[in-house]
Amino acid sequence: MNPSFKLLLVLIIALEVSFTRHLTINLVLVAVAIIYLLTKRIRPRLFGWLFLMPLFPAIAVFITIAWFSPGHDYFYAWVLFSRIYVYVFTGAAITQTTSPLELTRSLEQNLHLPSKFAYGTLAAVNLIPRIKMAVKTIRAAGQMRGINLSWWSPMLYFKAILHAITWSDQLAQAMESHGYVEDRARTSVHQIALTARDWSILIISIILIQIITFALP
Amino acid sequence: MNHLAIDNLTFAYTPKHPTLKDVALKIPVDSWTLFYGASGSGKSTLMRLLAGLLPKYGGRILQGNIELPNGLTVAMMFQDPGMQFALDTPQHELEFALENLQLPANKMPARIEHALKFCGIEHLRDRQLATMSGGEQQRAALAVLVAMDTDILLLDEPFASIDNHNRTLLIQQLTLLQQKYHKTIIVADHDLHGYRGLAKQIIHFENQRAQLLDAAASDALLQSADQLAATVHHVKLPTASDQPILTLKKVVIEHGDQKLIMANDFSFFKNQTTLLTGATGTGKSSLFKAITHLAAYQGTIVYNDQDSQKIKPRRYAQQVGYVFQHAVDQFLSVTVKEELALSLKKGRNPYFDEDHLAAALKLLDLNKLQDRVVYSLSGGQQKKLQLLLMLMMGQPVLLLDEPFSGLDLHSLHNVVDLIKASQKVYPQTMIIISHQLEGLEKLIDRHVKLADCQLSYREEF
Amino acid sequence: MAKKNNKFHLRDIILLALVGIIFGVIYWAAAFMYNALTIVFTPLKLPMMGNDLTMGLWCMAGPMAGFMLKKPGAPFLGEFLGAAGEALIGDQWGAANLISGAVQGVASELGFTFTGYKHYDWLGAVSTTITTTIVTFAWDWFRNGYNKFGFKNVYYFSGRLLSMFFFCGVLVMLIERLLERSHVMKREEFND
Repeated sequence: MNPSFKLLLVLIIALEVSFTRHLTINLVLVAVAIIYLLTKRIRPRLFGWLFLMPLFPAIAVFITIAWFSPGHDYFYAWVLFSRIYVYVFTGAAITQTTSPLELTRSLEQNLHLPSKFAYGTLAAVNLIPRIKMAVKTIRAAGQMRGINLSWWSPMLYFKAILHAITWSDQLAQAMESHGYVEDRARTSVHQIALTARDWSILIISIILIQIITFALP
Repeated sequence: MNHLAIDNLTFAYTPKHPTLKDVALKIPVDSWTLFYGASGSGKSTLMRLLAGLLPKYGGRILQGNIELPNGLTVAMMFQDPGMQFALDTPQHELEFALENLQLPANKMPARIEHALKFCGIEHLRDRQLATMSGGEQQRAALAVLVAMDTDILLLDEPFASIDNHNRTLLIQQLTLLQQKYHKTIIVADHDLHGYRGLAKQIIHFENQRAQLLDAAASDALLQSADQLAATVHHVKLPTASDQPILTLKKVVIEHGDQKLIMANDFSFFKNQTTLLTGATGTGKSSLFKAITHLAAYQGTIVYNDQDSQKIKPRRYAQQVGYVFQHAVDQFLSVTVKEELALSLKKGRNPYFDEDHLAAALKLLDLNKLQDRVVYSLSGGQQKKLQLLLMLMMGQPVLLLDEPFSGLDLHSLHNVVDLIKASQKVYPQTMIIISHQLEGLEKLIDRHVKLADCQLSYREEF
Repeated sequence: MAKKNNKFHLRDIILLALVGIIFGVIYWAAAFMYNALTIVFTPLKLPMMGNDLTMGLWCMAGPMAGFMLKKPGAPFLGEFLGAAGEALIGDQWGAANLISGAVQGVASELGFTFTGYKHYDWLGAVSTTITTTIVTFAWDWFRNGYNKFGFKNVYYFSGRLLSMFFFCGVLVMLIERLLERSHVMKREEFND
């Protein structure tokens, strides 16, 4: 499926389940997402991670509603519990099957997102390993001067932001040096197709979700 | 017009402090030119002006102008190899650049093939740039410029962090680009060794000026650079009475999938000042990062008979200090005064009492800069302040990564004197990485060379 | 003051995305706090308190971006591009993050809108604290079932307000002061 449309569908799903309280649709969506991921041959370990990672917040929400709220509404507790898994599994259905570059290219070509937003964000994303290293180095610099920079320390953020300022300057100049000009048309080496099939999948999915949400219990 | 004309140019980043003043130059096209000068002398600034990145990205042209021959395109390669790609792999970056140039899609594959092949990196096309060595990244960066078919190639200290093998390859490719494809190549470097026979002309940057050197002066400079690189100093090998303080046991350090260092049983010794040398890109800084636990390694690094990983990070940081290659990485506060106050409060080097600190500040010419913002200091001032701050902390072991770069000879002597004076009162183990060797003779006790992934003690440097 | 350029250029966009990602990276390093607080507050029958007390940390990129660039849209983009960046690298919260990022972005943007994009000071900080608290709370009202919590919402709301005030108000102002004093955001030294 077209990456932008996949994203659009997942966003619509996330929004819709946020505002409805319907257990069936949540379970159906989680099941569909899992099946989709299985057809894409996702590593089994990832499923374990996808299940465990949100477990803690999901339980927190569950017991808040089920035990500590005036209504003790177990049904609603399950709705909220499963809702978190809808977010996670539908989200994974994009991130595990579409590369950042494919999505960026699709957003640029199919949804006409200005290229500076698409590639500016992508360039920043590619620096994540450096960001992690920088945070580590800042904390080491602190410890070697006898101070512990914790996550609530202004100094830690200040130093990290200084890096961001330098890097954004360097990267923007480097991109310009590689021929990039803001707001100028670009060609595309890979055309990301947007077909009638993509439209049908999107529309049919949305209709199906409405039917389950509003017609089934 | 067959040259890049720089006419009476004055450029400044901040009012009243021009970086370049009254610069008038004619740089011929279809030739190889070197920009030579200390760091901060304006080489990089002029390059960015030629590339059209300045004043767009800061500063202002106060007078004069720059004219490029009609229709010639310019592109730049940057000093920090990892900071010039928007995408994740060479293939994608090449596609990105060609899309920017609005090249039709059907013409791209051939261009990309040619560029990858020309730079000898076909096998790296789909590798993650972030895991490549600096040398590989620079070759990928050159491939982008080749694919773009740029007429004028500006290279800002392109060899600063790459190994000899890749440097040689790059120079071959650049020579070919110049001679066969008639490109205009301008390289900025602070170190001229190895450029003999390559560059047609040298432009020397000093005191805000830039001047074209005549043939005789150029040749003299190139020759003395090669000679300096060949000067030999003698030191002793370790003796039986030396006490190990840091020992690498079965240590392997890698970058990406490239092995940098393999050390079966290698020690640095207590209260000695050890010079660590090796070609750029061989992994000297990686060794420091491993010792300070900033980078992963296999094996055991033993500190004072204890596995360093078993020491609490906070305590270990009080034992082994790291003077970073980039001075600003060391700073935590805003002004010089605040930085000094922090080191004074937390530092444990007994040498730095009030009088000695005042004397040290004066010696390093920092005494009148107390209210200055550390980030606005010159590169040399930052280096001196950084070193002072870490000396004051007084860790038993101090790792210094290029502590003297950007210092003039006068400052260098003062810094060495300060270290010696401090060591007399408070002996410390120091391991120093430095490409600058002149003026260090009286500081260095031992010399370790890193070559072919192995560390070994040597009698000369 | 010279006429300000309110357009976002490539460099601004990279910077905002980086700032958003940096806050995300540090947030995840502190994510254990969420779990720890939840465990502490569960016996007090307030398990969601961990969510509310760490919410401020989640929302810092927006006000920070506002203070740094001082342009309309910056708070939204700071928060949203950070979330988009995390979604792009395959962060597991992916798409849901994108929506929360948008909500939080709008939330902190409103604080600056209400003060006419003129108050990059305490007033702006307090204003964005309040709008962020209210908007994100309203969002959780639907999304995380806060509509069911009854009078306990008084605690949750107070907890969130406190968290927002500390992280998006006090901490952001402290960082901003360091940036201001070091003159690093003055890209155009020649503008008078």
